[in-house]
Parts: sequence; C-alpha cells; structure tokens
Amino acid sequence: MNMTTALARLLIFPGILFAVPAAWFFLWVERKAVALMQGRIGPPFMQPFYDFVKLLGKGTPPRSGVAGALMRAWPLIAVSTAAGAVGLLPVLPASGGFEGDLILLLALLEIPSICIIAAGFSSRSLFGEIGSAREAVLSVSYNVVFLLAIVSVAASQHTFRLEALAQMPPSPLRWLGILAILICLPAKLHLNPFSLPNAEQEIYSGPMVEFAGPELAMWELSHGLEWVAATGLVATLVAPHITLWWVAAMVFVALSFGIVLLLSAIAAATARLAIDTTVRFYWQCTLIFAVLAVSSALFMRLKS
Amino acid sequence: MNILTMLWKNLWGGSRTLRFPLRPKVTQRYRGLVQFDPELCTGCAICKFRCTSRAITYQAGKGEFTWGYDPGQCTFCGRCVEGCKAHALSQESECPPIYLHTGELKKTYTVARKAPAPKAAPAAPKAAPAPGAPKLAEAPTTGGTQ
Repeated sequence: MNMTTALARLLIFPGILFAVPAAWFFLWVERKAVALMQGRIGPPFMQPFYDFVKLLGKGTPPRSGVAGALMRAWPLIAVSTAAGAVGLLPVLPASGGFEGDLILLLALLEIPSICIIAAGFSSRSLFGEIGSAREAVLSVSYNVVFLLAIVSVAASQHTFRLEALAQMPPSPLRWLGILAILICLPAKLHLNPFSLPNAEQEIYSGPMVEFAGPELAMWELSHGLEWVAATGLVATLVAPHITLWWVAAMVFVALSFGIVLLLSAIAAATARLAIDTTVRFYWQCTLIFAVLAVSSALFMRLKS
Repeated sequence: MNILTMLWKNLWGGSRTLRFPLRPKVTQRYRGLVQFDPELCTGCAICKFRCTSRAITYQAGKGEFTWGYDPGQCTFCGRCVEGCKAHALSQESECPPIYLHTGELKKTYTVARKAPAPKAAPAAPKAAPAPGAPKLAEAPTTGGTQ
C-alpha cells in the first residue's frame, strides 16, 4: 500500500469522509431502533448531526494545568484512532493492506477505550473515576475473549492480513470466531447489558460527566466511529468476496446496518448487568467458548 | 422469549409517544396553568405565601395591588388554588403551552382594591361565661399558618 492509497483510505473511503456520516447514521439507527422497539418515536434522522453541531458551539469550563490539557487531548486521540481503525478496513477489493494490519486494527480499536479510562481519572470526578474503573474491569473481561476470537479467525485462515481474510471463503471455525466477536461487541460499544461504565442514572455517564461542548462532541463522534469500525470488522469477515467495488461497498454498508440492528435489539431486550455478573459472564461462559475456538483453529493448523 | 415478543409488537404496533407539537390528552383533574380572576381576588396574598416555587408575585400599592404569575417557574402543585378562599384562582385542565422565550407566558394584573364589605349587624351578646369556666384563646390578628 503506497502513501496515496493509504491517505485516500484514511481520508476518503472508508476513512473520515465516509466514516463520519456513517458514524452519525449508525448512532441514529441504534437510537431509533431501540426507541421503536420500546414503543417510542425516537429521534429524527439528523439528530446525531444536530447534537454534534450544537455541542461544538458550546463553551467548555476553563481548565488549567496538565489535567486540563489531558482532558482536551483524550477525545482527540480517541477520534483519530477510531478513524484510523475505520481506514484500515478492506472494504474495497484489492485495497492493499499489509501483513499484520489486523493487529494494528485491534490496537487502534482498543485505544478509545483506554482514552475513556484515562479521561475519567483525569476529570477527578468521583463518578468519572467509578466509570473508568468499571470500564477498565470490563475491558479486561471482554478483551480476552475478543482477542482470542480474532486469533482463532486469523489462525484458521493462516494470516493476520485483513484483505487476505476478507477474500478467503469463511470456514466453520471462522464462524465460531465471528460469533465470539459479536458477543464482545455490546461490551465494546457500551450497549446494554454491558453499559455499566457509562450508566446515565447511576453515575451520570461515568467518565463523560465532566466533559462538555466540543470535547463531548468529539467523544460522541469517537463513539460513532467505534460503531463503524467494530461493525465494519465483522461485516468484512462475514461478507463474501466481490470484485465489483460498488457492490462490495454496498454489501459492506448493508451488513454493518444489519449488525447495528442486531445489537440494538439486544440492547432493547436486556437490562444493565452489575459489574460482577458481567465479569462472570465473560470469564466463565464466553471464555470457554473462545478458548475452544482458538484451540480448534490451532489444532486444524497443525494438522494441515 | 417474552421480551422478544414484546419488542416485536412494539416495533409494528406504533409508538405511544407523540411528535412535537402534539400534546397528550389529559384528565379533567389535570393541573395546568393557573388562571386568575381579578373580579374575585381580594388581594390577601395567601397565594404568594403558599407558592413555594415563587411563580406568584404580589405587590401592594395605594388603592391597588399587582398580582403576577410566571408559568416558567410554576410547578403546578395547586397549593395556591387550594388556599384561595375567594376562589379567584383555578387551574386549566390542559397541558401548558409550549413557549420559546423566557417569561413569554408571564402575566401581570393590576387590580383596584375593593372597598371593605360593610360589617354585618352585631349578633346578640353571648351569655357571660361561668366564673369557673376556662378562657378561650384569641385568634391571631397577623400572620397565619401555612
């Protein structure tokens, strides 16, 4: 992948130019779908965009010193890494990529979560610190399963290159890994039943409690971009190999949309779990599942 | 699985919320905006005293008084209506209107003080209490209890 292609992917498609409107669209789909399933009208189509613009126009409380600089920096880092993760997705056929870009994608997907943890502690708010602690515990819980699932998918196909993974026909083991990734997505996207780090009623949105104005707008955008990146990763692994670029792009968007609807249905159907129940769910129930997937993948690799 | 059935029904059964600016239907006993009748008001200011949200203002003047009401501050608790002995206050049984600017619905009335009602003819003198009977406490002339 040369510099021009890399920049085009990062800035145009599937990068910022596509990802930012897609982020607002996915945020709207999630809110609207949950509202409809709860018997409410839900927000109008442009609401996430209006929210973003409104927040940009608001002021932020003056903060000085290192903590203030950090509080301004965390949302920007989160947005840029989430946008970078979206830019790495091999949506178009023959889009390039490099060996090991899956590992870079995972790292970029994880940075917004680390930023949230750091932001909560930087804010010095009691609620922010509780939310950050919860986010850290949640991250430790679901990431083991998430990473094992990714490793199982990569090991079953003998590559850590995203484009190569996307082009290969899915095997049964890969489906097992995709299922494990799907189980981790509600936790990664702070959706019910794993929305405890940003619980609005209990801890006033946790790490976000001290953020306002453009900083909060950046957090919202980063959350939307995480949606695009996480659902896009699953869509890339699920999508069949298509040579026509516009059909490939449409299949990618349609699959991502379907995953957003599925996650919204899970969010609407479940209530928030406590932290100990969440940890138990991932460490006791799902970890066994992920270990089975990765051990089967390694066994198959040794056998072949 | 019951929750999935419920979600499915909700998805296709229409919403229970209304799109702005439609308003929900209310019952007859709904406590809406406070209505003021200057004809009946005696200017006792009990309503102002009972209003915990300070939505009602009262200013006494020479031969008149000014009564004000700001729905933006009102919590629609109805304590002013309950306490109005002259029945000059009532509450609308419909949702308060939507307003865009602060104080848009604020109302102020300047009411001329009415002449005090003529005193009723004195009642027949009561029989003097027995010398050993306990003496009743006199009612307070100022202030009052909430």
